[in-house]
Amino acid sequence: MQLLAQILANGVLLGGLYALMALGLALIWGVLNIVNLAHGAFIMLGAYVGYYLFSLFHIDPFVALPVSMGALFCLGYLIQRHLLNLIARAPMFNTLLITFGLDVVLTYLAQMFFSADFRTINPGYAGANFTLFGITLPLVRVLAFLVAIVLTVALWLFLSRFRVGRAIRATAQNLGAARLYGVEPRRLYALTFGLGAALAGGAGDLYGVVSQINPYIGAALTAKSFAIAIIGGLENPLGVVVGGIFLGIVESLTALYVGPTYVDVASFGILVLVLILRPNGLLGAAA
Amino acid sequence: MTPKLKVALAVAVTCALASLPWLASATILQFSISTLLLATLAQGWNIIGGYTGYASFGNSVFFGLGSYGTAIAMVQWHLPFGVGLVFGAVLAVVFALVLGIPVLRLRGHYFAIATLALSQVMTAIVSNLEIAGRNTGLVLPLLNGDPLFYELSLALLVLATLTVFWIAHSRFGFGLIAIRENEDAAASMGINTTLYKVLAFAISGIFSALAGGIHAYWITFIDPVSAFDLSLNVKMIIMTVFGGPASILGPVVGAFVLSGISEILSSAISSVASLFFGAVIIVAVVFMPRGLADVLRRFRKTGWRYFSENVKKYRL
Amino acid sequence: MKRAIGCLATLLAMSGVAHAQNTVTLGASVQETGALANTGRYYRDGYNFAIAKINESGGVKVGGKTYKLALKILDNQSDSNLSVRQYVQLLTQDKVNFLLGPFASDFALADSSVAEKYQVPMIQGGGASDQIFSRGYKYIFGTLPVASKYFGSTIAMMGKLNPAPKSVALLYADDAFDVSVAAGTRELIRKAGLKLTEDKRYSSNTSDFSTLISEVKSSNPDAILVSGHETEVLNFIRQAKSLNLSPKIYSFTVGVPTADFRKALGADANYAFGMTPWLPSPTNKDQYFGDAPAFVKAYTQKFGYEPDYHAASAVADVEAFAKAMQAAGTLDPKKVRDAISHVNFGSIYGTIAFDSAGQISLPQTVIQVQNGQVTPIYAQGIMISKPQYPMPLWGKR
Repeated sequence: MQLLAQILANGVLLGGLYALMALGLALIWGVLNIVNLAHGAFIMLGAYVGYYLFSLFHIDPFVALPVSMGALFCLGYLIQRHLLNLIARAPMFNTLLITFGLDVVLTYLAQMFFSADFRTINPGYAGANFTLFGITLPLVRVLAFLVAIVLTVALWLFLSRFRVGRAIRATAQNLGAARLYGVEPRRLYALTFGLGAALAGGAGDLYGVVSQINPYIGAALTAKSFAIAIIGGLENPLGVVVGGIFLGIVESLTALYVGPTYVDVASFGILVLVLILRPNGLLGAAA
Repeated sequence: MTPKLKVALAVAVTCALASLPWLASATILQFSISTLLLATLAQGWNIIGGYTGYASFGNSVFFGLGSYGTAIAMVQWHLPFGVGLVFGAVLAVVFALVLGIPVLRLRGHYFAIATLALSQVMTAIVSNLEIAGRNTGLVLPLLNGDPLFYELSLALLVLATLTVFWIAHSRFGFGLIAIRENEDAAASMGINTTLYKVLAFAISGIFSALAGGIHAYWITFIDPVSAFDLSLNVKMIIMTVFGGPASILGPVVGAFVLSGISEILSSAISSVASLFFGAVIIVAVVFMPRGLADVLRRFRKTGWRYFSENVKKYRL
Repeated sequence: MKRAIGCLATLLAMSGVAHAQNTVTLGASVQETGALANTGRYYRDGYNFAIAKINESGGVKVGGKTYKLALKILDNQSDSNLSVRQYVQLLTQDKVNFLLGPFASDFALADSSVAEKYQVPMIQGGGASDQIFSRGYKYIFGTLPVASKYFGSTIAMMGKLNPAPKSVALLYADDAFDVSVAAGTRELIRKAGLKLTEDKRYSSNTSDFSTLISEVKSSNPDAILVSGHETEVLNFIRQAKSLNLSPKIYSFTVGVPTADFRKALGADANYAFGMTPWLPSPTNKDQYFGDAPAFVKAYTQKFGYEPDYHAASAVADVEAFAKAMQAAGTLDPKKVRDAISHVNFGSIYGTIAFDSAGQISLPQTVIQVQNGQVTPIYAQGIMISKPQYPMPLWGKR
């Protein structure tokens, strides 16, 4: 019983981290209809920003969070403005291909500049934990969970309360809608992609505190982000948190009861099932 | 060119290619085998992706099933290679029927992601199967016979290309194109869209599986990561899109050109090969989004403006 | 089209190695980029360094003629299919004389079939899985010790600790090397009369170990043995700390001897046990480098990072070819192959002599990170220095 409670807690906390990783992917996909295969590479770059700020200037990763996000926002904005906008109306394959190409290039450049060495962001409290009803809770994961909730709510408020946010949401329905809000579509696209990249950057910064980082972590993170975004649904950021927690719990229970090598069978199997049975996500309208 | 002349030319080129093992060095032969197999894979993807318009990321699953079908038949059951190939193709057809029916109901990116997820699921399942050697893979018997592998790969590519040729000129093919252009309209015209799509998926799968079987016996070692390699699927798409999707020879030309480039890069400037490959993809997608076939068709008329017109057409 | 083919042919020809007279070329395809680049570099640099050093000393005398060594190296981008094709290319187009191996067991498993097919010997220092040597191949030799015995010295040492650990959890990744290690270790644990509380296989490249760690924690074994990749070991230790898992002893097949590992973990690397077939001891004399400490010094100066056993193993591979060619007195691949099976010489890496399967036998020295330093603890029945045991709780460090 004690073990089960601990595993469930692990799952929920893992889910928070997952949600943070998938938030940006879901935003970009839902609004711009771009399936960004370079999403994991953005997370990886965000992690390196955090790593260098910590190892060179001793800046705490939670303080570095806005810096990671800002840096990736700029990168994402530039990529959409000067590259992806060029093919915004081309057939769907093309966006898949170009983001794949981006992923290859970014990964290569990361190895060139950062080397293939394994890095960690390792502040003194990285391994700290506290006990609640006999359950061990890692401090950093709890904090990351809170950050995920805060960012999700902030994104949700931004999309529903602000003019630019509403313009972004309207664009998800209709590409030309931005003009109705007085925003230039090219800028709006770049802004949205930048926001998505920023969220990936933030996720990367925190990922580096719980896990090791190297230039090749991106591909697996992209795949996982897809699963979370689809399970949660693309319509509402709050859905992504539900999707993340759901997946975190399922994976932890699978590892416990079926075996650690079956985790991917479970998570991607559920992704396929959700797509077939409820293509709008667990919380979305039924198919 | 008259149709007769075209046929004669095609036969002549095929014969010339078939004589390669007697002319070329072992390295060229090996490069050719891998290129022919890639071209077959691209041609297979062309059927479901190019003609039907479904961006499949599941074709690497077919390739993997073909590899494992052949390997399991040969290693675990000691059956001949030919039986293994058939077994792999049967696995692919079963997969296409059982999972194709529900998954092909999804459209656009959703189909792409569903097939991508299926390839992850298959990797994970196979790495837990005792009979497939789990994640440590299977070692196939050694056969020192590159000419044989070459002729087999060439025959398979010819067969795949003939199939695509038939599709392009048949009612079935028009049905697929109708589905790509507007699936609801196609259905209202009386096309059994589910049947058409599943058939296209299965045919595409058979060719990928056969290529996988040949590849497995040729390389002699497979494990889940290399057999269900997702980047192989990406390569199929790139080669098809680069050459010209929904054309008969586009994917073949795309495969030859791109694997030529990538082979030269990986042997001449070995360690920056992947950077160049990524950059080539980006540049190609931006400047020639409808493939080499389209460039050849229109470049003569428009000249260098072709590239800027493309950008103008698709940019925001 | 014809011109394009012409260009292609020229380029392919240009990329080949120009064959100067009296040069023996060794070919290798290693991971210079991709997920395994971090360890792949030891092989690239080790091969290059050994060849430069041998040439500096005047080259290799074969049948009265003196040859210089050359290296043709290709980057397999951590893709095993590409590496197989590159080895064929090295043999058929670049006409290299002999083959050096890639890193990692699954690569060696795939690539050794090329050596066997073309009957050209390959000496590889990157794959230890028993599977590589159990196929009856004649042209593959390995300079890493047998995977199934990796934990042998560790388990022997555990019997001499006070109080000796009684229960063990075994965790391993599902790739060729780690499965071999686990199979051997299971047997060793049984023979030592230890209780196996957990025996868990996990997927390679797992990044979240929280479930596994919680499970192990609830069965509370004295010792934890982990056989996996360095990335997994880093994640495991960090997550063990954050979930408060403190066994009396834990040991890892890889990572512990590398400088990278200690740098990434900082103080959290302390108390971790590991193993290495190689410690740069001055008793390891070598014809070309003097001895092992001199090698470490020169290597670090040249490449800017410390070598570990991977690099030393790579050097031994090159030296084994040099010795075998001299002994054979010819460059004929079959005769050199027979000479390799009979070599017996001392190197910076240790004594190089292959058994009938083609694998080397080197004892694993148990090591522990103590105050940020790799400290040899136990080898061949002898306690070299005092282990820090039991490991203190995470809160009390």
